[in-house]
Amino acid sequence: MRLRFLFLLPLFSGLTATAGGFDTGPQGARVLGLGGASTAYIGSIAGISVNPGLLGQLGDSLLRVSMGGIGQVRRSSFIGQDTYQRTDQELTIQPGGYFYATRAVSKRVAVGLSLTTPYGYHTKWPETWEGRSVIQESQLNTFFVQPTVGIKLNDNFNAGVGVVYAFGKYSQRRALGQYDDPTAQAKFTSSGSGLGLNVGLYGRTGDNLAFGISYRSGVKLKMNNGKATTTGIPDRDGALYPRTGDFTTDFSLPSTLSVGIADRITKNLLVTFDFTLTGWSTQDSLKLNVAASGGAPDRRITTARRYEDALAFRVGAEYQIGAKLTALAGLRYDETPIRDEYINPEFIDANRLGVSTGFSYQVSPRLALEAAYAFDYGQLRTARANQQIEQVANVSGSYRTVTHTASVGVALAF
Amino acid sequence: MKNFCLTPWHRAGFVAAALLLNACAPNQDTPTPTTRVDVSRYLAVGDTYTAGFSAGGLTRVSQEYSYPNLIARQLQGASNGAAFSQPLLEAGTGAGYFNLVDFPADGFFRTRRVEGREVRSTVINPMACSGADTVRLLARSATAGTLPQNLGVPGLVLSQIEVSGLGNETMAAPGATFNPYFERLLPAGSDQTYLQAVTTAAAASTFFTFFLGLDDLLPYVRSGGQCGPVPNSTLSSQMRQNAKKILDQLTAGGRPGIIARLPSFATLPILRSGKGLGLQARLQSKFSDDALVYIEDPIGLGNTQPITDDDYVLATALPRIGQPTAVLVGATTLMLPYGRDIRNPLRDADVLDKDELSRVSVVLNSYNNELDRLATDVYKMPVITPAKKQSTLDLDVLLFNPVAGSVSLAGVVYTAEPVRGNFFSLDYYSLTPRGNALLANAFISAFNKAYRANIPAIDANSLPTSAQ
Repeated sequence: MRLRFLFLLPLFSGLTATAGGFDTGPQGARVLGLGGASTAYIGSIAGISVNPGLLGQLGDSLLRVSMGGIGQVRRSSFIGQDTYQRTDQELTIQPGGYFYATRAVSKRVAVGLSLTTPYGYHTKWPETWEGRSVIQESQLNTFFVQPTVGIKLNDNFNAGVGVVYAFGKYSQRRALGQYDDPTAQAKFTSSGSGLGLNVGLYGRTGDNLAFGISYRSGVKLKMNNGKATTTGIPDRDGALYPRTGDFTTDFSLPSTLSVGIADRITKNLLVTFDFTLTGWSTQDSLKLNVAASGGAPDRRITTARRYEDALAFRVGAEYQIGAKLTALAGLRYDETPIRDEYINPEFIDANRLGVSTGFSYQVSPRLALEAAYAFDYGQLRTARANQQIEQVANVSGSYRTVTHTASVGVALAF
Repeated sequence: MKNFCLTPWHRAGFVAAALLLNACAPNQDTPTPTTRVDVSRYLAVGDTYTAGFSAGGLTRVSQEYSYPNLIARQLQGASNGAAFSQPLLEAGTGAGYFNLVDFPADGFFRTRRVEGREVRSTVINPMACSGADTVRLLARSATAGTLPQNLGVPGLVLSQIEVSGLGNETMAAPGATFNPYFERLLPAGSDQTYLQAVTTAAAASTFFTFFLGLDDLLPYVRSGGQCGPVPNSTLSSQMRQNAKKILDQLTAGGRPGIIARLPSFATLPILRSGKGLGLQARLQSKFSDDALVYIEDPIGLGNTQPITDDDYVLATALPRIGQPTAVLVGATTLMLPYGRDIRNPLRDADVLDKDELSRVSVVLNSYNNELDRLATDVYKMPVITPAKKQSTLDLDVLLFNPVAGSVSLAGVVYTAEPVRGNFFSLDYYSLTPRGNALLANAFISAFNKAYRANIPAIDANSLPTSAQ
């Protein structure tokens, strides 16, 4: 029976795939505890942001709500290749949260809404670190709103579709190290939105085994309201670096293709597996198109990223300890989309091995408390800057990255 | 897991629940600076560059950023108790330097000379090649009793290393061979020669760098071939012989060190931006015409001739090109654009023409080849560039040529342009503190390769962009 799913394997073979990148982890306390393996998991309505196909199964006559907060700390250390100087990123918390609501509107149709913060990062290096002229601080926050419809095709099969409206804010600043003034800086801030689509299927092949497959399209955030500002420029170069200017940019958020199975091994133990292929290759380069201002002509600041599509493998387990308490555990391996040649301190990532744990406590039939924690440990990355390519700002050295993600939330039924 | 640290912090979460996370930066092993050879007593031998000359002058601040001082600072990480002494000037004294006045949109920055201040006395030499020259006697260095470890002397030429009295105050007279920067390194009234000083200092040293010989050729280049000894085979053989005399002392007993080849002059901003046809094209586009650039015949006998791509107009003359100047044509005085009219050619002193440059290049190459030969065959020094089996530090390949094509170091671009390039200082040939850091890094990298050491490089971006 299980061999049936082997057809999925060729999908991924031959890909030098790598999900990682700047996703902020599973969007829900319960799925975080499960390591994110939720494509075929109906234990939490948080699954609908990953697989809208779950909605037909999840939706019932009750209005179900799940909401909570997520905090992620992603931190890297750096050692300069030639200078031997160690720099640690400053501690920042990438705030996130989720809100889900589902309800069946007929026997076959259920509707849902999800609000999530699936992508983002906050990189903050000390002001005077070695790579300050490459980047000092960079921040991306995204908000996804996804109204979803789920349809029960028959007792065992469900399909769902959701429309994604995404909003994102991006900012970065770096020192202009060619000047003596330590406050000489260039800052860029912008925001924008884009649309996407999320479709999925969920099926059961018996009481114990379920599968899910879903695809969420990439979203291109069009940011047309960018503001570029500079400070600390000496008078002689005032014309080269105007104090303020406008810029536009696009930010491509990746598509995801997820395949998962959930297997109830015993009455109390459920195990889930997920493969996710994330289409990071749309993140080709970050182009800031700065408009002409004052005496300075328009120009384009390009940071090549050349991300690769990335594969993540996730395993989760849910164990019913008692009538009220469920324990969660997960293990995952996320390959990084960032190639060696394009490691840049604006966003550091590595192939990561992650473990997670969590619990759900059913306080009453209508209220459950959920909490989870995940820790990811990244491989050592070594960046080699080519000094001769003057357009590319980078710094040579090695990076080690860890992430801590924690989430708490509640699941309610009315 | 070493990567956890248990400093708990606390933050109110999105849902007003408190999140408790343990987070600290992941650990990495930091390399330890190491060296197998003894670098505890480092001796730097050289001229203008080595002394820490910057923006047309030597000041106390520019001495602090001399490349030997920067190297010494890095060596100290691997060699406990290593110290480095420099003949520091008193603040405010020296031969004067340039300050930046402004940088107009025409691309030619303007400088102002801050006059030097002597401490003991001033000797004016009215017969100096490029107009009256002022020699200032400065306060004697605090290191005069023992000789400093930085023996870089501005204006020191190889042909004078055995001149007795080069550093004796009594020789400070117009037209005499005298170097006030050498004088202040020695006890009063000493007739020691530079070679003797190197001999004495080398005996107390464990490691050396040698970057000497540029000052033999610089005056000729900077004056458009008007001043300094004419580069010829006599000068070339004298430089080679005298360099060997110094190096014999420095390498005595197999003392480890780095010998630097001289960089070629065409990468220095004094020449680089005035390369014949490129300059002519820039001027034609600036003035929207197709006038040629004319230069005087180098020998002064023949006709005015159009500039070729092997002639270089000195950077100091560039702002004047195209400005109308009065010229006597026949019996009438006309205002003609300087250098852009066949009747008003660029003066010989403003141009290092192809014959002059080739003379310089012949001497430079012959000298550099001798340094290669000495390092490899005579002193059997370890190889720095394996591909070429070269035991000398080739500054052109490793530093000056890359900078001329512009390099990006941790997000900061360095070019050969003074002011914005942050490498060369306002005098068009000496280095800024950051330029000195890159030069020091070239030496450190060569040292690491040759002696299999791990000496960290300097973060040049953290140094000032000028020593003034």
